Amino acid sequence: MAGPPKTLAGAAHQVTQEQLVQYADASGDHNPLHVDAAFAAGTPYGRTIAHGMLVLAFLSAMLTHNFGMRWLTGGRLRVRFRAPVHPGDAVRSDGRLRAAPADAQEITYDVACWNQDGVQVISGEATIPQALL
Amino acid sequence: MDFSSLGPGAIVIDEELTVSQEAADVYLLAVGDAEALYAEHQVTPPMAIAALAMAAAMRAVELPPGAVHTGQELTFVRPVMPSTQFHCSARVGQNSVRRGTRFLTLQIQVTADGHSTVVGQASIAIPEEGAA
Repeated sequence: MAGPPKTLAGAAHQVTQEQLVQYADASGDHNPLHVDAAFAAGTPYGRTIAHGMLVLAFLSAMLTHNFGMRWLTGGRLRVRFRAPVHPGDAVRSDGRLRAAPADAQEITYDVACWNQDGVQVISGEATIPQALL
Repeated sequence: MDFSSLGPGAIVIDEELTVSQEAADVYLLAVGDAEALYAEHQVTPPMAIAALAMAAAMRAVELPPGAVHTGQELTFVRPVMPSTQFHCSARVGQNSVRRGTRFLTLQIQVTADGHSTVVGQASIAIPEEGAA
């Protein structure tokens, strides 16, 4: 039987300001740092930034695509938000399998999101059960 | 709510939450997730549940504009169908100040029919007023 994939690669997501507004409406997070360009211009970021949970959703989508219901039933994520994502950025997710004994009940990946300049914007780990719980 | 006065264990939110099929679809569109699995298995995307719960908790503590979401932990315990009614609670984990920055953690628990659905913890850094 084939083991778990050693590497994961998610789709590229081009972040737009329209998407930040859509996400704010969908999640209820209307922090002006994400949706008000004039406000954001007066912050250290200089312009709006994406919600951390939006970028994290790109990572989770990659895990859903690769592991399906196993991810949605017992998956665990632990991440740090390392750099802001701005409208216009292209974000890509990936993952690398840690050592996984054949009899392990769960597998763990080092996961990350990167922008178009190769800057790591999220890093962390994702753990997936080997079988549906 | 004055977040600076909240000690560990303080309850931030304790409320009911429902994610309709329409709300789930709006969420999936916003994040660009076209995965067919949710519809095939009739499950609410757990990231949508987590996003709504986290946003509710962050609104409740009235974070200042300079607050930065620095870390996130999530566990998807049990999938649920769209339009399930959830109970969502959030408590303060840590709330301390070091070198001019307040470090606040919010612990989220979402349950449905008494069963845990999504568990998470958000880490937030807040510059203290007057800090260099």
